[in-house]
Amino acid sequence: MSTTLALARREITGLFYSPIGYIVLAIYLLFVGLLFSLLVLQPGAIADPGPMFQWNHLILIFVVPFMTMSLFSEEYRSGRIETLRTSPITDFQLLMGKFLGAMGFYCVVIASSLIFILILSLFGRPDYMTVLTSYLGLVLMGLLMVSIGLFFSACTQHQILAAMSSCVTLVALGILFQAISYFLGSALGVSWAWLRTLRHVLRYLAIEPHMVNFSRGILDSQNIVFFLTGAGLFLFLTYVVLESRKWR
Amino acid sequence: MSQPAEIVVEQLTKAYGKFLAVDNISFAVPKGMVVGFLGPNGAGKTTTIRMLTCFMPPTSGTARVGGFDVFHDSLKVRKNLGYLPENAPLYLEMRVAEYLHFRGRLRGMDRGSIKKRIDEVTELCWLSDRKRWPISKLSKGYRQRLGIADALLHNPPVLVLDEPTVGLDPSQIRETRKLIANLAGLHTVLLSTHILSEVELVCRKVIIIGRGKILAQGSPEELKQQCAQRGSGARLVLELRGPADQIRTALAALPGIEQARIISDNAVCAVELSGKLDGAMREQIAAMVQQRGWALREMRSAGASLEEFFVQITDPGAAAAA
Ligand SMILES: Nc1ncnc2c1ncn2[C@@H]1O[C@H](COP(=O)(O)OP(=O)(O)O)[C@@H](O)[C@H]1O
Ligand SMILES: [Mg+2]
Repeated sequence: MSTTLALARREITGLFYSPIGYIVLAIYLLFVGLLFSLLVLQPGAIADPGPMFQWNHLILIFVVPFMTMSLFSEEYRSGRIETLRTSPITDFQLLMGKFLGAMGFYCVVIASSLIFILILSLFGRPDYMTVLTSYLGLVLMGLLMVSIGLFFSACTQHQILAAMSSCVTLVALGILFQAISYFLGSALGVSWAWLRTLRHVLRYLAIEPHMVNFSRGILDSQNIVFFLTGAGLFLFLTYVVLESRKWR
Repeated sequence: MSQPAEIVVEQLTKAYGKFLAVDNISFAVPKGMVVGFLGPNGAGKTTTIRMLTCFMPPTSGTARVGGFDVFHDSLKVRKNLGYLPENAPLYLEMRVAEYLHFRGRLRGMDRGSIKKRIDEVTELCWLSDRKRWPISKLSKGYRQRLGIADALLHNPPVLVLDEPTVGLDPSQIRETRKLIANLAGLHTVLLSTHILSEVELVCRKVIIIGRGKILAQGSPEELKQQCAQRGSGARLVLELRGPADQIRTALAALPGIEQARIISDNAVCAVELSGKLDGAMREQIAAMVQQRGWALREMRSAGASLEEFFVQITDPGAAAAA
C-alpha cells in the first residue's frame, strides 16, 4: 500500500511541477466559469448549481486526456519504465499508483470549482446535499475517464497519441453516442426492434444520462454501477497491456 | 572459485522475433566480486542484463540472482538487486533527495532508514552538496552518480551497472571507476561496458560477449595467457641497425619464430616477430644479432594486451575465418 501511495504522490507532484498541470487547471476553471455564469448565475433565478454539474463532463472530456497522457507514455519514452519495473513492485501496484495519482489530481481540479459554489452561496442558498451528490457523480465519472486515459497511455510511448486516443473515446462516450441515439430516436420515425436496442445501448453507454441524476441530488445505483464497471474494465485492460509489453 | 555464485546464468537465450540477441549463454558471478561484462555495442549486454533484472523474461534458459529465479521469484530478485540502467533515466523535475526518498519508498524502506541511507549513499557517491538540487540542473556525471546512489540505496547484495561511464568526461570516468572498485567485497557487481581498460582496472573477472555469445571468460591474467596461447597476442619488436632484408631472413630462419615482419626501415630497422617468444628465445635472438654485428637498439614485447585479444575475438571477420 505504501508503495502504491508513493507512486501516486509522485504522480500528483509531477503534474504540479509541470506546466501541463496548471494549464489543465486554468482551462477547466475558465470553462466551468463560463457554464456557471451562463447557466447558473441568473438574476432572480433560484440558486441551483445543477446545470454546472450536468454539463461538466463536456469540459472534462477535453481536459482529462491531458492529465493522463504522460502516465505511462512518458515512462516508456524516457526509459524510466525500466527503473520502475525492476523495482520490487508488482504491476498491480504500479497500475494503482498511477491511477490513484491521476485521480488525486483530478479531484484537485474538480474541487477548484468549489469557488463557484462559494460565489453562489453569497447570493442564495444552494442545496448542499445536491452539491455533494454532484461532486460524488464527478468523482465516479472521473474513475471512468481517468482509467480510459490511463489505458491509452499504457498503449504508446507517444503522449500526444495517447491524449488524442483518449479524447476520441471520451468524445464518443460523452457526445457522439448520445447524439446518435437522439438522432435515431427522433429523426427516424421507424421503430425496428434492433434499432431501438441500438438506441438504448448507445444511450446507456453515454455519459450525460448518468450524470443527470447526480446533479439533481439523486443517487441511482445504475449510474454508480455504470461508472464503476467502466473504470474496472479499463483498469483491467491496462493491466493486460502492461503484462503483454514484457513479452515483446 | 570456492565462493558461492551470486548470479548464475544457464543457457540463457533472448530472441527478438527471429533475431537471437542473446544466444544460449552461461556464466556465474561469484559473491563479493566485481565482474566485467565486456562486449562491443550490440553484443547483447543490455539484453542479458534486462533479463537478470526481471525487466523482460528470457526466451529460454534460466538465471538466478541471490539464489532466486528471475522468472519465478522476480519480486525477491528485484528486492536484492540494485540496478543502474543504461543512460540512467530519472525524473528531471524532482530534487536529488526527494528522488532518492521516492525510490526508497518503492522498495518498502521506512522513513528512518531512508533518511539514514540517503546521507550515506550521497556521501559515497560524492553527491552530498547536491542533495537539494533539481535533477534537471545536474550534469551528466552527477546524474550517473545519482543513478548509482539509487542502486545502492537499499544496500542490495547484488549490483548491476549497465555502462556506467558512458557519456562522462575523463575525470568523471576515473571517479566512477574508483567508486565501483570500492564496492568490491561489500557487493557483488556485474559491470557492463564496451571499454576494455575499464574492466582491466576494476574487475577481477571478465566475461566477454559478442553477437549474443560468450566468447571468453576468466581473470584478466587468464585471458592474457589465453591470448598468448592462441599465438595471437605475444609479439616481439626489435630495433636494430643493418640491412633490412638480411635481418628479416635471418630472424625468420630461427626455429620457433613463425613470422618476421619489417615495420619500418629508415636508418634503424624495426622488425616484429611472432611465434614462441620465451626468455630462451630472446637470449638466442640477442646472441645472433650480436654475432652478425647488427647494432641492437631496443627489444620489447608488444601486443600481448587484452586490447588486441578483445578486438580479435569480437571482430566478426575473425570469427568467420575461425
Ligand atoms: N527491443 C529490441 N527489439 C529488437 N532488437 C533489439 C531490441 N533491443 C536490442 N535489440 C538488438 O539486440 C542486439 C543486442 O542489443 P543490446 O543488448 O542492447 O546490446 P549491447 O547492450 O551489448 O550494446 C542488438 O543488435 C540490438 O539491435
Ligand atoms: Mg547496452
